Amino acid sequence: MTEAGLGTLLFRLRALLALFVLVVIFSLLSPAFLTSSNLVILVKHVAINALLAIGMTFVILTGGIDLSVGSVAGLAGMVAGGLISEGLVLETFGVKVYFHVWLVVVIALLAGMLVGAVNGILVTRFRVAPFIATLGMLYVARGFALLRSDGATFANLSGDPALNNTGFPWLGAGTLLYIPVVIWIMILLAAVAAFVAGKTPFGRRVYAIGGNERAALLSGVRVNRVKLAVYVISGFCSALAGIVIASQLVAAHPATGETFELNAIAAVVLGGTSLFGGRGSIGGTIIGALVIGVLADGLVLLGVSEFWQIAIKGVVIVLAVVIDQSQERS
Amino acid sequence: MTYRHVLLLSAVCVLALLAACSGRGPGEGPSELMAIVTPPHDNPFFKAEADAAAVKAIELGYQILVQTHDDDAHKQDQIIEMAIAKGAVAIILDNAGVDASIAAVQKAKNAGVPSFLIDREINATGIAVSQIVSNNYQGASLGGQEFVRLMGEKGNYFELTGRESDSNAVTRSRGFHDVIDKYPDMKMVARQAANWSQTEGFQKIETMLQANPGVQGVIAGNDTMALGAVAALKAAGREDVIVVGFDGTPDAIEAVRAGDLKATVLQPAWRIAEMAVEQAHQYLTTSETGQPEKQSIDCILVTPENADQFELFRRKEQ
Repeated sequence: MTEAGLGTLLFRLRALLALFVLVVIFSLLSPAFLTSSNLVILVKHVAINALLAIGMTFVILTGGIDLSVGSVAGLAGMVAGGLISEGLVLETFGVKVYFHVWLVVVIALLAGMLVGAVNGILVTRFRVAPFIATLGMLYVARGFALLRSDGATFANLSGDPALNNTGFPWLGAGTLLYIPVVIWIMILLAAVAAFVAGKTPFGRRVYAIGGNERAALLSGVRVNRVKLAVYVISGFCSALAGIVIASQLVAAHPATGETFELNAIAAVVLGGTSLFGGRGSIGGTIIGALVIGVLADGLVLLGVSEFWQIAIKGVVIVLAVVIDQSQERS
Repeated sequence: MTYRHVLLLSAVCVLALLAACSGRGPGEGPSELMAIVTPPHDNPFFKAEADAAAVKAIELGYQILVQTHDDDAHKQDQIIEMAIAKGAVAIILDNAGVDASIAAVQKAKNAGVPSFLIDREINATGIAVSQIVSNNYQGASLGGQEFVRLMGEKGNYFELTGRESDSNAVTRSRGFHDVIDKYPDMKMVARQAANWSQTEGFQKIETMLQANPGVQGVIAGNDTMALGAVAALKAAGREDVIVVGFDGTPDAIEAVRAGDLKATVLQPAWRIAEMAVEQAHQYLTTSETGQPEKQSIDCILVTPENADQFELFRRKEQ
């Protein structure tokens, strides 16, 4: 345990070091970088990816992968957007029901968890490789997001006071104690996730399955149940990210979240979680997401061209994995 | 275990067969088939285009085959092969790339199927019968002029550009700058590509505002990016910043009416798609369209004063 703890710590320190170097470079190059308002904006941008990456971390810790997170985010946004702007039409009764915003959020989160549960059942009961199961779900969820509105955007999700469903934009634009709600959501989720992963029996089982699934099974861990749970967690986190994006834009667009899965996986890997499972941490993932976010926003502040931004991001991710591999060998 | 696999496999086969049979519907029947191929319909622009072409084609007595190519030239190629195989008499196409689409259009021509291109041109003439596009340069000049006027001919501004590999992104940016750069007091303090995306427009403007808090205007290469900018400016309490977009999507026109967006430029996509179908019909009946191959249709400036006159990429019928 102490050795593993030390290893994790070293990983975290390395990611932290990368983060520190990036922050220093950007602070020197742009006077606007190290200001409180910019840092708040930056963390706000990081939060979206961090939400997805937290769920992804649990899945990857078991040795799985969830490629459907971006599509689930898009779908959850569309579920929430549809319920706010169109309500729920009950054709048999010929009525339209509008829900309170909190209920809308809960329904959208449940939709994400349901998709996650389907992923989990495919992986556990039907023994489909996680890569394939969630790749299929990437398309299925995107298809349903597009079907929900026939490809259109649900615009202006401010709600209608007459229908008692206002307040949705608060999640994306509101603040608590001068800090945006989005950041509080990320902090809360990260804290709960870190506790669950590090301090609970469930967390230990997640690591055990990723370390050696067969050994975990033989020592009495209900492997399928834990695996199902991690995909549900990932679905929940993805849906939360999708809801926050829809709230920020005050609009839900069915193509939202395309390629988000790649950013989330990159954050997890940068944070030192092994793609083979069993090793990694939520704290590392948050730092990984911060590295990607600092890089993205810093380059925008400096006015670097989009093409360079893409290339530089790729180099950083590959470098991180190269370091990860060399550590594995030694 | 193996038995179950066989069972599963056969179930999949049966399903695939069923899907194949039911998918045939629109291709068969007494009248001729017109294929309508556009980028994906999650952009209301392409959906309006496909809808307009479909409505006009049905009105003229054609069967229709509507497909989307996801801006993927390879997928487009497969769709065109399928359309030829199904016996389409004409193809209405919003293509997947100026150079990458030439081979597919040529293939259709060789098979005796004429193509009528809308919205985007290809880098070749004499292969398609018509290439009808909205005049992006003229539209961007209109948008640029209105932007300069709203800014009072001076001030710092941001530009959001579309996907840098898309020729329309380049043309629009050139159209903006050929007008704006004539005014020495108009200063572009930052430019970023936001890839036509609302989320990217939102995040990039938030960050750009940090480096340049004193900005007074944002000009965007399309409406989704412009609406992302509007959301970011609202969140920052900077409703005073002037935002001008491009495309004339229904959401953007609504935003112009509400005053969130100060102006946009409407592409007459609905009319262009109708024209392509009309010319296809004319060509099929008389073997000529009576029009030059390359046709460019002017865009229209949309401001709060005239926003009520427009819907779905066209002027409302009186």
